[in-house]
Amino acid sequence: MARPYGLLRAGFPYLKSLGMRRLTNYPVDLTLGAEGRIYILNRQQDLAQIRKYSFDDEDLGNFGTVGDGEDELQWPVSIIADSEENLFISDESHHRISSFDKEGEFLGTFGEYGSGEGQLNRPAGIVFDADENIYVVDSKNHRVQKFTKDGKFLLEWGSHGDGDGEFDLPWGITVDELGDVYVADWRNDRVQKFTTDGEFVMKFGKSGSANGEFNRPTDVAVDLDGDIYVCDRGNNRVQLFNAEARYVDKFIGDATLSKIGREYMMTNASPNRIRDMAVLEPQKRLRQPRSIAVDSDMRLYITDTGSYRIQVYQKEAIHLNSQQFAPPMRSVTLHQE
Amino acid sequence: MSTKAVEAKTDPALLAHLYRRAGFGINRDEIDQLATEDYSDTVEFLLNPTAETGIPEDELKRYLGGEAPHAYLAIWLYRMLNSRNQLQEKMALFWHGLFATGLVKNEHILSSSNQIEMFRENGMGEMREILMDLAKDPAMIFWLDNNENHLGEPNENWGRELLELFSLGVGNYSEIDIKHASRAFTGWTFAQSPPLYPHGYYPADFLFREDDHDNGDKEFLGHTGNLDGGDIIDIIVKQPSCAAFISRHLYNFFVADEPQVPTWNDLPPLDPELIDAMCKAFMDSDGEIKSVLRVMFNSDSFKNARFKKVKSPIEMVAGILKLAGEHTDFRHDLAKYPQSSTFTMGQILLDPPTVEGWHTGREWIDGGNLTERINFAVDQVGDGLSPGIKRIIDRLVESGSLSTPESFVDTTLDAMGPISVEDSTREALVDYARKTEVDDDRSRAVRMIRLMVSTPDFQYA
Repeated sequence: MARPYGLLRAGFPYLKSLGMRRLTNYPVDLTLGAEGRIYILNRQQDLAQIRKYSFDDEDLGNFGTVGDGEDELQWPVSIIADSEENLFISDESHHRISSFDKEGEFLGTFGEYGSGEGQLNRPAGIVFDADENIYVVDSKNHRVQKFTKDGKFLLEWGSHGDGDGEFDLPWGITVDELGDVYVADWRNDRVQKFTTDGEFVMKFGKSGSANGEFNRPTDVAVDLDGDIYVCDRGNNRVQLFNAEARYVDKFIGDATLSKIGREYMMTNASPNRIRDMAVLEPQKRLRQPRSIAVDSDMRLYITDTGSYRIQVYQKEAIHLNSQQFAPPMRSVTLHQE
Repeated sequence: MSTKAVEAKTDPALLAHLYRRAGFGINRDEIDQLATEDYSDTVEFLLNPTAETGIPEDELKRYLGGEAPHAYLAIWLYRMLNSRNQLQEKMALFWHGLFATGLVKNEHILSSSNQIEMFRENGMGEMREILMDLAKDPAMIFWLDNNENHLGEPNENWGRELLELFSLGVGNYSEIDIKHASRAFTGWTFAQSPPLYPHGYYPADFLFREDDHDNGDKEFLGHTGNLDGGDIIDIIVKQPSCAAFISRHLYNFFVADEPQVPTWNDLPPLDPELIDAMCKAFMDSDGEIKSVLRVMFNSDSFKNARFKKVKSPIEMVAGILKLAGEHTDFRHDLAKYPQSSTFTMGQILLDPPTVEGWHTGREWIDGGNLTERINFAVDQVGDGLSPGIKRIIDRLVESGSLSTPESFVDTTLDAMGPISVEDSTREALVDYARKTEVDDDRSRAVRMIRLMVSTPDFQYA
């Protein structure tokens, strides 16, 4: 589907929250399956768990154990699903990518510690391209590597630095519908865009907290309109940019109680009283968000890691054609039409 | 004890002693670098933490953390092992022991960890600020029930412990002082933070409730008027008894094991002369802890007090990890040490046994936890492949000192600290070295190091 000629950005309201403490403990990433299934990756000290969840805020079970066994996880970072809904998870402690089917059956791993071709040192973000090859952010090697789904090395790019195409402990990664690759270049406080083969295309962002600036961005996502979302973790927000990387908007958190959270509170008197005594405003805000995802329905999912939940926003944008959207203007104007 | 050289500008043994006490240890190569500087300059370096901690703070938050207490403790342990500001971390531990606050009661890890961060930030500052921050600290307020200290319904728990355990000591105040101090702290509470469920811990912030504060006249240590909590602390820190109490605690923590605190009213300090000098520094500097520490660390009494303190479990664990050179990078298993290792040795950080903190000295050791301590140390030495142990072995092999049993033992003791052992221990080590002369150098060295960390001498700092 071609990108729209223009967009009427009608709004981007908060839609709902999913999860709560105990169910979605320190969610660090999620991936979307069919029929509204959501696979939420939870990571804490002594916890490495995939929570199967529904968009209706229902717990569908969990799997994953913490440990050093071949089928265990230690420090999982990112989770992605292939077309069969097999799940691939990066593990920055074991320096490998592990895979499970959607019922949690262990399928295998690839990757080993090292800095050579195909080796990994703290793998972080992972993403499939349209052919289901997998890009891996090889964070401590400051590079991106591309593998086949079964772990055969295809290519790599990047080295340590802050120049174009260089990285400093990169984290999240995404591929847009055109095949271009975006990397959250964590310690350089920027996002870089590459072609499918790793040729540098553009970069945006710098250190800071103003609009368009980042404090250790952890993830990046692109929707079907080409809009770019950046998880600006250190600033406790997600920023929205258009396809040309012009800042558009930000999300700081608007959470209401999730359905499961309401059910919990309805049967617990003491938390209700304590909540009533506390200031509500901070409870809405994002706390150390870690990752973002967008679906084909233009919903934005933010793993609100510090608050044990997912905040979901709904994009409302109308596609405009050339009759509805004037040509680009060279200069700003005060002329009101 | 057969200590080696006493005071010398570049005496490695003295520097090792300083870093065992004012920090959590130091490796031999770093000592060689520091030995080119004057001892007092090294003390000043420790007394003046800089922003150049050597800790990548962003990575620390990236890889470590979480709501579990041992997840936070892993962060603290990482700082103990890797921060250049070693004394800053040690002072946080000192205040944690003195202002003992238990997570077991508040069940709010964010407040407990924030308290440790507070100790790190201001632990060498003025006593007035330290006590003011403590009085406003939600973890302490809740621990000693000052949130229950209301106008007309005073709760004296905080007021009592402030005087008895935190600043003056028994015998230096009256029951009247406790009652009036408690009234002065009415209304010192914290704003309600949201509940743990459904969305986790939120920070608690200090709140002064004017409507819950007793504005009546009070009498405290000879002062009268509408005293509030700040006035009470102002009066406390000007008391010579406060200077003496804090100085003796510092001496007990850093220099040598004093008798347990409840006996202090009856038993004089082990070193009255040094305590007097520390008290003078306290009074002359308006209670600046750094000034007191400077006098203490530069004293002959401190310099000569080697291997006179039983290592606390966390000192034991951090010290041996540092010796092994492990955990300079971020690893998931760092949390196991505060979760299980120090626990089995009798110390649960963030959860001191009572408001009195941990009893120190020989009370750290009984038959059970001595075995734990030795096993832990031997395990960390392992097969000699850890970076720190490899450095020691390289040093031994390269020095050619394995040629005689005596030089083998002495060089190993030097490379591991330098540390000193009793003459009888040294003789046993030499005897062992003699029996292993047929083995290859590296395996001999590993076994010797394992044996050394198993000695009673190694239990002392």
